[in-house]
Amino acid sequence: MLINKPFFQFGLVVLTVLALPFFLRSGIMASEILIYGMVVAASNLLLGYTGLLSFGQGIFFGTGSYLAGIVLTRTGVPVGLMLPMAAVLGTVIATLVGGLSIRRQGVYFVMLTLAFSQLFYFLAYTFSDLTGGDNGLLDVPRPMLNGEQLVDPWSYYAYVGVCFVLVFAAMLLVTQSTFGRTLIAVRENEERAAAIGFPVRVFKIAAFAISGAVTAFAGALHAMLIGVAPLSSIEYHTSEIILVMTIIGGSSSLYASVLGASFYLLMADTLSSIWPRWLLLLGLVLVVVALFLQKGLWGLVEKIYALLTHNRIPPEVEPSDLGTDTTAKGE
Amino acid sequence: MTNRRNFLRYTAALGATTALPGIIGRAYAATGAMTVGIPVPISGAFAANGKFASMGAIIAAEEAAANLGVDVSTLDLDTEGKPATAVRRVQDGIAQDGVKLFAGGILSSESLAMGKEIERGGGVFMTTAGADEITGSDCNSATFRWSVPTFGAIEQTLRPIIDAIPDAKRWYTITPQYVFGEGLLNATTNLLAEKGLEHVGNSYHSLTEKEFSGYITNAIAAKPDVLLLLNFGSQSSDTLRQAISFGLKERMTIVIAWASGLEQFEGLGADVCEGVYFGAQYWHNVDAPLNNALRAKVREKYDINPNYSLAGSYICTKLLLDAAAKAGTTDGPAVAAALSGMAYDGLTGPETIRAEDHQVMKDYYLLKGKAKADMQDADDYAEVISAGQSFLSPADSGCKLG
Repeated sequence: MLINKPFFQFGLVVLTVLALPFFLRSGIMASEILIYGMVVAASNLLLGYTGLLSFGQGIFFGTGSYLAGIVLTRTGVPVGLMLPMAAVLGTVIATLVGGLSIRRQGVYFVMLTLAFSQLFYFLAYTFSDLTGGDNGLLDVPRPMLNGEQLVDPWSYYAYVGVCFVLVFAAMLLVTQSTFGRTLIAVRENEERAAAIGFPVRVFKIAAFAISGAVTAFAGALHAMLIGVAPLSSIEYHTSEIILVMTIIGGSSSLYASVLGASFYLLMADTLSSIWPRWLLLLGLVLVVVALFLQKGLWGLVEKIYALLTHNRIPPEVEPSDLGTDTTAKGE
Repeated sequence: MTNRRNFLRYTAALGATTALPGIIGRAYAATGAMTVGIPVPISGAFAANGKFASMGAIIAAEEAAANLGVDVSTLDLDTEGKPATAVRRVQDGIAQDGVKLFAGGILSSESLAMGKEIERGGGVFMTTAGADEITGSDCNSATFRWSVPTFGAIEQTLRPIIDAIPDAKRWYTITPQYVFGEGLLNATTNLLAEKGLEHVGNSYHSLTEKEFSGYITNAIAAKPDVLLLLNFGSQSSDTLRQAISFGLKERMTIVIAWASGLEQFEGLGADVCEGVYFGAQYWHNVDAPLNNALRAKVREKYDINPNYSLAGSYICTKLLLDAAAKAGTTDGPAVAAALSGMAYDGLTGPETIRAEDHQVMKDYYLLKGKAKADMQDADDYAEVISAGQSFLSPADSGCKLG
């Protein structure tokens, strides 16, 4: 299907960055959509491409957020160096968490990521001299460009937009590579992938590492956006929100992540001011997605596209639709 | 510098979005002369506090509109109880709606973060949050705090009890392990040491704890004369209920140093509260002219008595509007200058705003739960045992405003 082709997905990403200022008055909200778009795409790499449902994404997001807070408020390290540092730290921690979690499968894997999530939350809570504890780290500055700090929300949006496009392009390359297709093979039939000689554990850990790098990178951007690295960025609830966005958007394409992040954030922003119990509606949305839209909002887009172009949707459209048929390759 | 205008110009030049529909935006909530942003949790776990805060702010806005003859509106900004959301709402309030006056921030973490953002955005912020840092080490030129910090709360709660019960020599504390709890605990240990009393033990618990029986059995084992609860809100209510179910009310004096006000009494009920001491920032029955007037207005408008969330939001909003009227502008630095050093008749009697750290000097109350039979009306849960003011000097609080 054309809309799942990588060049089309990349085009959508660029269009999204250019179009958001026309639809949103808030540069903060627009930036947050792009940042969470990256985070959800990283979660999608684990859930959609590797079949790993991780409750540990908040760890990496919080790690990036705290790194930005610590480095930018306590050292003279510039943002240009801090962001790669966040990605590297995210990679290291994700490798550690992933390496231990993937020793078990199914529900035990999920419980391990949940346990790590709680562990890192309490570490951040306990080492308050480093993390600011319950108060978080305040006064996280935004980057400088041409000697001026990006105070204006739309200036910072442009900065985030460039990062977003680059990260998304890199993620597309990863998913299109042999590595990405092998992840799908692992997801489809782990035993078969192992039997034909793929080092399954290494692939899973690598997926975790990439996901951790992107998520921590986005966490650092988020801390600069709101000027604070809060304790809530590393708590279990953050992981939960990321997963909810991933599922709502759908895990069959990377751009689905942007849809999921946009839908959740805009819904929260609109509904929370209208009705204090708006989370009930979110529950209903999840029920609807689970029962009728198992490919999420992107699945709906695919259906509409198929109707418009009189195409038939393949019975099982997977991330493999972005490239070649990995099941066949696995055989 | 890339601003939104330039960004759109460049975008249009690329020809990528020429066919897109027009800008969709929220209508300005502020149509009048003055708008006060109310950043409080309207959804989430602290939604009840936010609801009352919003009600209190509306009363203050209506009052100001009538007194000043200008349109005054409030703009609710749902923080969801999360610092990140709170900051985003405030940033949007400043950038989209042009709001400069902000009253709210129930949780310390969100208030600290919002205070910094509002200072950057050229606004002014009045809060009731508890963390000492707000008017201490993290004070700033735009942030003011109405509530008494931990030092004053402990001084005004414990000293009268120590004087009233001289035989109470052994004290046990249960403390939430975060900055607020640590602040209360430090003030407690200092005071007990000064008075030559014995701190026989302390149990720390996390912010997410709901089961306190283990801590209570530790307290029983230490054989204290007084059990002092330094936790807050539902955690202090749960600890108190469980302590009473262990029969501690008959065996020792129980004190909650920082009660959340009338709403906590309503949740606990008179039977639980009877004989228990509570420290409180506000009590609806206090006889002060402004409080009497507020009580009458709230009863007329909402048919309830004002609780702490409502009263705190009311006074914060009122102070901002009074200062803006005095300054003749809503510009943050001008309003902050008008607030600094202001003396006024407040909800607790005469109150002043200390210019050095932007801390309001006001009374803190020691309450004692009444027996059901002694209650004059449905909300008469407690009698005011004492009231007074205790504050660290600006130098000791760590504020560097000058």
